[in-house]
Amino acid sequence: MNEREAEFPALLARLRPQCEALIAQYEHHRSALLPIVQLFQEHEGFVSPQAVRATAQMLDLTPAVVESTVSFYTLFYRKPVGKYVVQICRGLACSLNGAEDVMRIFRSKLGIASLQTTPDGLVSYEEVECLAACDRASCGQVNLEFVYGLDEGAIDEMLAAMRAGTYAVAPMAQTEIPGRSWSVAQNADVARGRKSSGAVGTRSPDNAGGVGDASGVIMLDRIAELGLAFHGATHERSVREAKEIVELAGDHLGTLGNDGRAGH
Amino acid sequence: MTVVPVTKVLTQGIGEADLRSIDVYRKRGGYEQWTRALASLTSEQVMEYADKSGLRGRGGAGFPTGRKWSFLPKVEKPRYLVCNCDEAEPGTFKDRMLIENAPHLVLEGMLLGAYGIGSHHAFIYIRGEFKEGHRVFSRALEEARAAGLVGKNVRKSGYDIEVTVHRGAGAYICGEETGLLNSLEGKRGEPRLKPPFPAVEGLYGMPTVVNNVETLAYLVPILARGLEWFAAAGTERSKGYKIVSVSGHVQRPGNYEVPLGTPVRELLELAGGLRPERTLKAIQPGGGSSACIFEEQLDLPYDYESLAKAGTMLGSGAMVVFDDTTDFVRAAYNLVRFYAHESCGQCTPCREGGHWLELVLERFTQGRGLRGDLEMLHRVSAAITGINLCPLGDSIEPFLKSVLVRFPEAFEARLAGE
Repeated sequence: MNEREAEFPALLARLRPQCEALIAQYEHHRSALLPIVQLFQEHEGFVSPQAVRATAQMLDLTPAVVESTVSFYTLFYRKPVGKYVVQICRGLACSLNGAEDVMRIFRSKLGIASLQTTPDGLVSYEEVECLAACDRASCGQVNLEFVYGLDEGAIDEMLAAMRAGTYAVAPMAQTEIPGRSWSVAQNADVARGRKSSGAVGTRSPDNAGGVGDASGVIMLDRIAELGLAFHGATHERSVREAKEIVELAGDHLGTLGNDGRAGH
Repeated sequence: MTVVPVTKVLTQGIGEADLRSIDVYRKRGGYEQWTRALASLTSEQVMEYADKSGLRGRGGAGFPTGRKWSFLPKVEKPRYLVCNCDEAEPGTFKDRMLIENAPHLVLEGMLLGAYGIGSHHAFIYIRGEFKEGHRVFSRALEEARAAGLVGKNVRKSGYDIEVTVHRGAGAYICGEETGLLNSLEGKRGEPRLKPPFPAVEGLYGMPTVVNNVETLAYLVPILARGLEWFAAAGTERSKGYKIVSVSGHVQRPGNYEVPLGTPVRELLELAGGLRPERTLKAIQPGGGSSACIFEEQLDLPYDYESLAKAGTMLGSGAMVVFDDTTDFVRAAYNLVRFYAHESCGQCTPCREGGHWLELVLERFTQGRGLRGDLEMLHRVSAAITGINLCPLGDSIEPFLKSVLVRFPEAFEARLAGE
């Protein structure tokens, strides 16, 4: 058990009243999932397995459900990160205004790629989607506070201030030494943030899919054929299905014995 | 060059006064519409303002607000108002400006909206990246609560209204209203199959209206100045004003509020025009999901119908301008990568198709496009359109197709061996 794990029960006891206040904001407990996990991350610097279990317990969910939900959101760090999470916008407006240069400078000065943390555990670096500050492109965030005007001089100053502990934005809590990346990945392609499984590792979409004759594009064409029919009849189909379900349920209920179990 | 007049409705006072302070906001007439509604208007009357003013959703779909509200069933069930501040459409930055600079205006709009639909619990879903916006809005809400404008029996009207601030955690798809509702329920932000629409079964299965920040904020001036005033601006079917976020290759990127129907050329001028010695190549008029328009279309009125007729859309009101320094292969790759990254993964066409398009376009950016790839880009992007649970997958084709058709030589030059 490391130090953080040993201290978790005390942290939980301290945060419990806040968690309960968060739960009380909503008619349904589960709505407090994101806020509670955010609270734990604020204190531990990442979403620890202990935080997942505690959240699950407070909301009467299984840890797997909490984990599944947490894994959907990019701002939940499921492994320890640096004290400063630097997120540079790679969105379209920023890319038209020098984002490529900004990203190149950060990568080379930090000596790491996107989704990695410096070996000293100080800076985690990520290239992110549009941050909604296109009027001041190219932009970024440090620990979710906006930063602008990122030329080489400004980046040097920023990194020096972070190293000196004098940077304007408060550091994140850090309760464990971060590893090389906080991305939870099964393999290199998924590490790049891809959700697609079918095309992992293939060079051409024409050969993707990989099973029998089901090449990727053929598969898409088939989906398109089925899909258009589906699209045109969404409502009709759902009404029909709903009726069928009721009929099926009726048939099924008819076979039930008095004890409520299906008869044979 | 003519001087384009500057319009200020929601943007009134931003940059001049500290509207984040409730005292400043109230000195300028803030919360007068909320207290007036409580004292002398029925919910139906507020709904009439939303409906008859012709206000349409400012988030992207442009659906008439009053009509959306009218879908709520007349049943004795809790109903909810949700303000959508999960702004993440590439190029859009108006809602962030509003909550960071005019949080009380947004809150007053939410209170009016909630009252209009008869809701006693309103939520605002703020994008996780908007830490500053969340801080500012939360403080404003506390001020309003302390001033007795939010809570039980507000101003002895007998009306109870609670407001809850909910922060997202990083997911573009939560801007889609049913994805947002799932996220607000503490689930993965995956869009739901519709119908049922949120008006019938929304948050916790109850009747719910999800409205954009800008839409709700416009309720305040509409009540203050009258629905005729609002309806007098704009065009016949696109009434009122709109904040347009202009960015890309312009000299003064920023948010510009205009009457709908303002020619695109004037918006470009408001944003300072192009940089010296540059020429215009394209404009993406309505966010990442919209097809480009070109130089010969600069006189198009910026409204829902005119842009739709031109084969594109007004969307969230984000205008990205491209000059002759643009690499359209990289731009197409950039947007396709965005949608592939943000696909929630539920629907196969979007999840797999977006990913394949990204791989092919990545190949082009490296000068390794293959013969047949151009045809495939057309085919695959068309094949994934119109068959997903939500519009995300459908958002991939318009921009890609418009630049493929307009600038084929840019893509052909990146074929392997060219």
